[in-house]
Amino acid sequence: MTAIIAGVLVGLGTLITVLAAVAAVRAGDVYVRVHCLTVVTSVGSPLIGVGLIVVNGFGFTGASVLLVVLLQAVGGPLLGAATGRVNAQRDGVIGSGSPE
Amino acid sequence: MNWWLLAFGVLLVGGLGPGLWLALRGPAAHRLVGLELTGSVAALAMMLWCQAIGQASFLIVPVVLVLLSFAGTLVFTRLLGPHR
Repeated sequence: MTAIIAGVLVGLGTLITVLAAVAAVRAGDVYVRVHCLTVVTSVGSPLIGVGLIVVNGFGFTGASVLLVVLLQAVGGPLLGAATGRVNAQRDGVIGSGSPE
Repeated sequence: MNWWLLAFGVLLVGGLGPGLWLALRGPAAHRLVGLELTGSVAALAMMLWCQAIGQASFLIVPVVLVLLSFAGTLVFTRLLGPHR
């Protein structure tokens, strides 16, 4: 039963990650691509991580997986914001000193 | 081949492929999205690879990759920003 639950979670996470990556390629605008990217770190990564924790239990493996998932969940939106800011500055949408 | 290897392969082709494609095309600031996507998907693929081969100690590699990928991308956003 545990293996089935883990398989479903990992399969769902893998599917969402691949769909987000393909959507990022198909998106014409860089800002839409940034949105597609955050799906990977906010949905796909936690699903795969929970699946791995379910099958392994919470030992060294589970803690390492949890650390990766947490770092991605925190860092993904930050990187998305930083990337969007650089592109907005280069496109002239916001000033070079923004936010002040 | 087990299911973990299958998921690893799917992520490698369907996730890393588009990431590399995005990182190789367009202006420098647009390529950052590809760099971020590649780093995130590579860490996930490595976790699945560790599970597939049953080597939990290898999980330190995706942990370090996530940290370095985060810092490296932030450096690139700084370098690609407008000159003051």
